[in-house]
Amino acid sequence: MHRLVYILFFIVFATQAQTKMNNTEATALKTKVKALANTTQTISSDFVQYKHLDFLDNDIKTSGKLAFKSPDIVKWEYIAPFKYSILFKDETLFINDEGNKSNVDIGSNKMFKKLNKLIISSVKGDMFDTTEFAIEYFKKDNNSLVYFSPKNEKFSKYIQTFHITFNEKGDVIEIKMIEPSQDYTKIIFTNKKLNTTLDNAIFTH
Amino acid sequence: MRYLLISVCFFCFGCASFSKKNNFNPAAITGNINNPYFANPKQDYIYKANIEVYDNTFGGIFIVKKTDKHQHRIVFTTEMGNKLFDFSFNKDLFKVNYILDDLDKKILINILKKDFKVLISENLKTEETYSLNTTTIKKTTLDNKTYYYFETPELSKVIRANYKKEKVRFLFTKINDTIAQEIEITHTNIKLKIKLKSIN
Repeated sequence: MHRLVYILFFIVFATQAQTKMNNTEATALKTKVKALANTTQTISSDFVQYKHLDFLDNDIKTSGKLAFKSPDIVKWEYIAPFKYSILFKDETLFINDEGNKSNVDIGSNKMFKKLNKLIISSVKGDMFDTTEFAIEYFKKDNNSLVYFSPKNEKFSKYIQTFHITFNEKGDVIEIKMIEPSQDYTKIIFTNKKLNTTLDNAIFTH
Repeated sequence: MRYLLISVCFFCFGCASFSKKNNFNPAAITGNINNPYFANPKQDYIYKANIEVYDNTFGGIFIVKKTDKHQHRIVFTTEMGNKLFDFSFNKDLFKVNYILDDLDKKILINILKKDFKVLISENLKTEETYSLNTTTIKKTTLDNKTYYYFETPELSKVIRANYKKEKVRFLFTKINDTIAQEIEITHTNIKLKIKLKSIN
């Protein structure tokens, strides 16, 4: 019986590691994240991506670098175990697939424009748009965790929920994108630097 | 009469079977076909994929897992992890678990299903055997289509052919034990080429 109480206590304690925020806390977080996002001119970061598929023994691990320059230039580059990058710049999506270069004009393509916007807002964490997402706020250890669930039916068929983890400064340290099947893609940022001068060469195709 | 003879000759020549046209020499059947490349249930098979379809090229991650004795799961995602399609094979049953709306075309799904079935089919009955230099060629039937399996001695090529002509070619290269590090699937009747490179 004692043991059961201990176990129950432990479960309650463990689940309490992630608790819901009250409205004041949620507003404070939103303000902090938005303020940081608004003053962010550049971002450079390393990342590790884990693709989880329930039927696999191991997650598929890939890693690379992210570079962002305000207002809308983004380079998302995989380095290992293959080289592949996408670069959004000048209304164009430039793709470099192990040296094979191609580009897509996104000027008239709503979907790619949305993707560009989504990548920028998610790496900044600024997705607090209640017309687009149902939002839930949690505290997790010293960090904050926010669930953004797309309201658009077509979008939610791809991604059911984004779990974005923010550090104490309001900066994004982890993004988890959960599919309706519960398979997910988790991206962990390391060595993230804000507002450093980024060489233009990073953004050449 | 002479015209008839000539016509018959042409007809026969034109009808030379795929094996004759390619100078395969008939040989005694030595055993059935064994394809080891996606047969280990303990292995996650992960490939970087490159697909050329007509004049478009796109990439992604191609994932295969043997989930049970006669079951395989095949998933294709973008490099960024978004699922493009997710298929299950269970003996003769085939199920689309997910496919992106833009790719949800019956004709495309059928082509992919047929190609992937070849990749994951492990044991097939040899109907005829041929030799060509040092290569052993085994003929079999899979879902009513004729296939030729080339063993050198490891399985290095599979060709789907109708009576006369090659339709699809599967090449397995950089073979490392029971893993083909590189696989290329080329269709000759449509402009479609799938290149796979192992990344794990």
